[in-house]
Amino acid sequence: MVINGSGNGMLLKARGLTKVFGGLAALKDVSFDIREGMIKAIIGPNGAGKTTLYDLLTGIYMPDDGRVLFHDREIIGLTTHEIAALGIARTFQTIRLFTGMTVIENIMVGLHHRTKAGMLKSSLRFPAARREEAWMAGEAMRYLDVVGLEMQAENLAGSLPFGQQRLLEVARALATDPKILLLDEPASGLNTYETRELGEIIYAIRDMGITVVLVEHDMGLVMRISDEVLVLDYGEIIAEGSPESVRNDPKVIEAYLGSQLD
Amino acid sequence: MIGDDSKSQQQRPHARQGGASDRVLSFLKAHKALLIFAVFLGVMPVWAEPIASTIHLDIVLVMRLVGVFTIAAVGLNLLIGYAGQVSLGHSAFFGVGAYTSALIAVKAGFPVWIGIIMAILASALIGLLVAPVLRLKGHYLAMATLGLGIIAFVFMREMTWLTGGNLGVTSIPELSLPGVPKNDISEFYIVWIIALIILAFCSNLVRSRTGRAIRAIHQSDVAAAAMGINVSWEKIKIFMLSAALGGLAGGLYAHLQGYIDPNLFYITLSIQLVAMVVVGGMESIWGAVAGAGLLIFLPKIVETLPRWIGPGVPKPIADYSNYEGIVFGLILVLAMIFMPSGITRGLSDLVRYRRSPFINPFKKQAVE
Repeated sequence: MVINGSGNGMLLKARGLTKVFGGLAALKDVSFDIREGMIKAIIGPNGAGKTTLYDLLTGIYMPDDGRVLFHDREIIGLTTHEIAALGIARTFQTIRLFTGMTVIENIMVGLHHRTKAGMLKSSLRFPAARREEAWMAGEAMRYLDVVGLEMQAENLAGSLPFGQQRLLEVARALATDPKILLLDEPASGLNTYETRELGEIIYAIRDMGITVVLVEHDMGLVMRISDEVLVLDYGEIIAEGSPESVRNDPKVIEAYLGSQLD
Repeated sequence: MIGDDSKSQQQRPHARQGGASDRVLSFLKAHKALLIFAVFLGVMPVWAEPIASTIHLDIVLVMRLVGVFTIAAVGLNLLIGYAGQVSLGHSAFFGVGAYTSALIAVKAGFPVWIGIIMAILASALIGLLVAPVLRLKGHYLAMATLGLGIIAFVFMREMTWLTGGNLGVTSIPELSLPGVPKNDISEFYIVWIIALIILAFCSNLVRSRTGRAIRAIHQSDVAAAAMGINVSWEKIKIFMLSAALGGLAGGLYAHLQGYIDPNLFYITLSIQLVAMVVVGGMESIWGAVAGAGLLIFLPKIVETLPRWIGPGVPKPIADYSNYEGIVFGLILVLAMIFMPSGITRGLSDLVRYRRSPFINPFKKQAVE
C-alpha cells in the first residue's frame, strides 16, 4: 500500500461539510478524518445525513460549504467518475446493480476505468482489445471469488437473491480498485448468517489494504468489526471514537433513546 | 438463429487467444447467425428474381431498402435500446447524410463513395454539435430531439441555394463499384455487404467495454458514474456513432432512390425508425433487421394484394394507394399490445424458455 504524501496516515480528511436541502440542513459543519487501513463506521438515526455524506464524498452532490481532501488532494468539485478513478468506491443503500446484465458483466463495468480499449478497437476486435477483454474476464472472476459468487457469473444480476445482490455490489465496487470503500447499509435485508459472512468479507477487504467506511444500522456488526465509530444526528457529529466509548456516550444514548445499543 | 446468437453472447466474455486460424474460428462461432444470414442474402437474387413478376413484388428491389434501414435502425437501437437515450430526431441525420452524399456527387461531381464517407462524417459532426441535448433525460430528450428533426427539415427545405428546396435533388448517380455491372442486384449486394459489416461491428460493440458502459448507463447512470464511467462522454460517443450510421444509411438511400426531397426526411421518418427499433426488439442487434424487414415489406405486400386478385377488385380499393400508413399503424399497435418486447426478444424467449412470444393483454395480472 503506497501512501501518497499523507505522512500522518490520514487517507481522507473532511472539513466543515455542509449541505442544505431546501432550507433543511442535511449536514452541518461535519469534519472527520479517516485513517488508512481502518474500518470506520458511521451510524445515526434515519435522516441523520449518512447517505448525504456519501453523496458529497463521491461527487453526486456538491456541498454548500466545506472541503474534502483525499490523499491531500481536494476532491470537491470533481465529477463522480473522476473521484471513482482516484480510488473512492461505494455501494448504494437501495441496490443499484445493472440488473439486465450478467453478474460477470457487472464486475466488468467496475473494471471500466482500469482498461482502455476504445469503441473502434474493441468493435473491430483488435488483438490488444481481445487481450484486455480476456484479462477483464479473469480479473472479474477473481472479484466474484472474494464474495463467493463465482458460480453465478453467467446469471442475470437481477435474478440473484437479495443478499447476493448486496454482495455483488460490494464486488463491483472492489473491481474499481479503490483505496477506500464506502458501504451504504450493506447488512440491511440480510439475515443473521449472511450478516456474519459480510463481516468476514469486510475483514478480507481490509486485509487487501482497502480502507472501509461503513454506514450501518446493525449495531452488532458495527460494534464487532469497526475500529472507530462516528455518530451523526440531525446532520451533526455527536460522538466519535472507539466502539466502547461511543456506546457509553450519553449523547449517543439519548439520540438512540428507545432503541438499544447492544 | 436468434437463439444461437444469444447463446454465443453469453460465451463471449471468455475471449479466445491464439493463432490466426483460431481467431477465424472464434469469429465464425461468434457470428454464426450473421453468416447464415449472409448466405441467405447471397442466394436471394437467385430465387427472388424469377418470382418477382408472379407476386407483383420485386423482392430484391425492396431488400435494398431493408438493408439501408437496417443500418439506420441498428444505429438507433444502440442509442435507444442499449444506451436508453430516446431520439425522435434521427430523420435529421438520415437527411443530412442523404443531402451531403447527393450534393457532393451531383453538384461537386465527386465519386459516389467519397460522398458517402462525407455523409458519415457530416452526420457524426452534426451529432457532436447537438450532443448537449444529451444532458436532458427521458421525455425531455425525446422532445428536444424531435425539435432537432424539425429544424433539420426546415433547413433542408429552405436552403434552396444548396438543397433545391422542395424540388429536391435529382439524377443522383447510383451505387456502383469499378468493374461491377450497374444494376439492382449489384446494388443489393453492395448495400447488404455494408449492412452486414455494420451488424458485425455493432454486435461486437455491445459486448465490448464500451457496450457494457452504455448498457450500464441505461440501467443506472449514478451507479455507472460511481464505477468510473464518464457518463456524458460515453453518451456523446454513442450518439455520434448512431448519427453516423444514420448518415451512412441516408447516403446510401439517396443513391438508391436517385432523387431526394425534404419531405422524405420529415418526422414521419424518425417515427418509422423508432418503430423499427421498438417492433424489432430493443437491445437487440437482430431486432433492427427484423424491424426494418417487417416495416418495409408488409406495406409493400399489402399494396400488391389488389394486383394479385386481378381485375375483380372494386375500383376504390384498387385505386387507394396509402396502404403503407394503415399497415404501419396496425403493426405498431398490434406489436405493442401483443409483443411489447419486440420480435427478436419474443422469438428468443420462445427458443430459450419455451415461452410464447405473444402476451395476452387481457389476462389478469397478479398484484405485486
